[in-house]
Amino acid sequence: MKRWALLLCLFALGCTKKSDSVKSEATMQSKPAALVVGTDAAYAPFEIENADKTISGFDIDIIKAVAEKAKLDIEIVNTPWEGLFTQLESGDRDILISAITINDDRKKVMEFSEPYFEAVQLIAVPNTSKVAKYNDLKKLKVGVQTGTTGDEVASRLLGKTNPNVKRFESTPLALQELLNGGVDAVIADNGVVNNFLKNNAQGFKTISDTSFSKEYYGIAVQKGNLDLLKKINEGLAAIKADGTYDRIYKSYFGEKK
Amino acid sequence: MFAWFRTDIIAEYFPLFLQGLWTTLELTAVGILFGTLLGLLLGLGKIAMVERGPWKWPVRFFIKLPSQIYIGFFRGTPLFVQILLIHFALVPLLIHPEDGLLISGDTALYLKREYGAFISGALALSLNSAAYIAEIFRAGIQSIDRGQFEAARSLGLNYFHTMKSIIIPQAFRRMLPPLGNEAITLLKDSSLVSAIGLAELAYAARTAAGAYARYWEPYLFISLIYLVITLCMSYVVHVLERKYKNA
Repeated sequence: MKRWALLLCLFALGCTKKSDSVKSEATMQSKPAALVVGTDAAYAPFEIENADKTISGFDIDIIKAVAEKAKLDIEIVNTPWEGLFTQLESGDRDILISAITINDDRKKVMEFSEPYFEAVQLIAVPNTSKVAKYNDLKKLKVGVQTGTTGDEVASRLLGKTNPNVKRFESTPLALQELLNGGVDAVIADNGVVNNFLKNNAQGFKTISDTSFSKEYYGIAVQKGNLDLLKKINEGLAAIKADGTYDRIYKSYFGEKK
Repeated sequence: MFAWFRTDIIAEYFPLFLQGLWTTLELTAVGILFGTLLGLLLGLGKIAMVERGPWKWPVRFFIKLPSQIYIGFFRGTPLFVQILLIHFALVPLLIHPEDGLLISGDTALYLKREYGAFISGALALSLNSAAYIAEIFRAGIQSIDRGQFEAARSLGLNYFHTMKSIIIPQAFRRMLPPLGNEAITLLKDSSLVSAIGLAELAYAARTAAGAYARYWEPYLFISLIYLVITLCMSYVVHVLERKYKNA
């Protein structure tokens, strides 16, 4: 009986603690706090966490430039991809920028800015490979990153449970496997593939197939937060107009085609 | 009650799960086989000692010390790191179409393409389990009273005969439970090999989870499979233990 009472007390204590912290958070929010930007900083060159725990990358430069133009005070927080969308929904994050492809499913739960980056899938193959187009991959071993567009594309051609689709935890691992001869080709986002090429002297060639649909990355805000969305779009338009965007683009991906 | 459990995901990916199960069993079998063989040699190597005579120093430097370093390295670094190191660094060095130290040319290309991840995974698991099995052998052998060894030697048996006929059979009985443990650990650790793209059970689950962004179904399903296999394995060990109890 006593033990139960003790447990009950502890539980009650826990509850009061919790409500206290909620209250303090609420009082904190009444002050004009920085907008929290969530990004999954494990996707070079879009977002990378550096050795000193700061976050950099193409997306980060873009959102910083946008925030400067739109006069928004932002704070960037590394947020694992798995929890990214839920944290926006719950209000823990105000803005998301994390190489997020704009699609209809996502539009149902969040608002997207104008596109800020065009992504296409690239096929990476050894320099000596005879592969020239998507359909040539049918009988080959294709490396992809699990759950990405590249995975979907490869699965569509070869079948979801085909052992010739080799899934890796990251695109660089799949590309490394290509260099080692473990797969015949890799399908992945152009940004990540080109970044890998930049950092690995021993190269491979890339093929773009017109049958791959283009995708656009967008900056996301909470559903219904149209005020913030408007400011972000204005900022985006401003950096595109004054050449800031092109400068950032060039520093990561070279001259725009 | 289990309406939220989408069995259609499991059904759709069932061929991949089945193939994954088979690969997992193959990996574990290879790991146990080569791990035990290499582990026995290493275990004997670690306790090898010649007290006097011309063999004293060669044995210490070329048998005992390398065994100690090997066991130290493989027990002291994470298996996950060993798998990545072997697959992305060691194996490409040895087997490479252009300049493999061991195998190169078309054979290397064929091996890498068809069996690359399996070779690396099986190698990593074998080398890793060998270190643990070596320690099990060592402990088992050292647990046998030294008098047994001395008695056998004074009967005129040589070192290897003593080990083979007197010490190891007695030690084996004591080594069975930890060996069974190691086999179960190996089965579970084989899931780490999914990192290098080998289609075993955890890989199948990761694939299904990646496609649907649903984690309960695939991971619960493979947990159940792993559980069934480990229960079978501990049953086999239990039967063996009973068999050797009176031996």
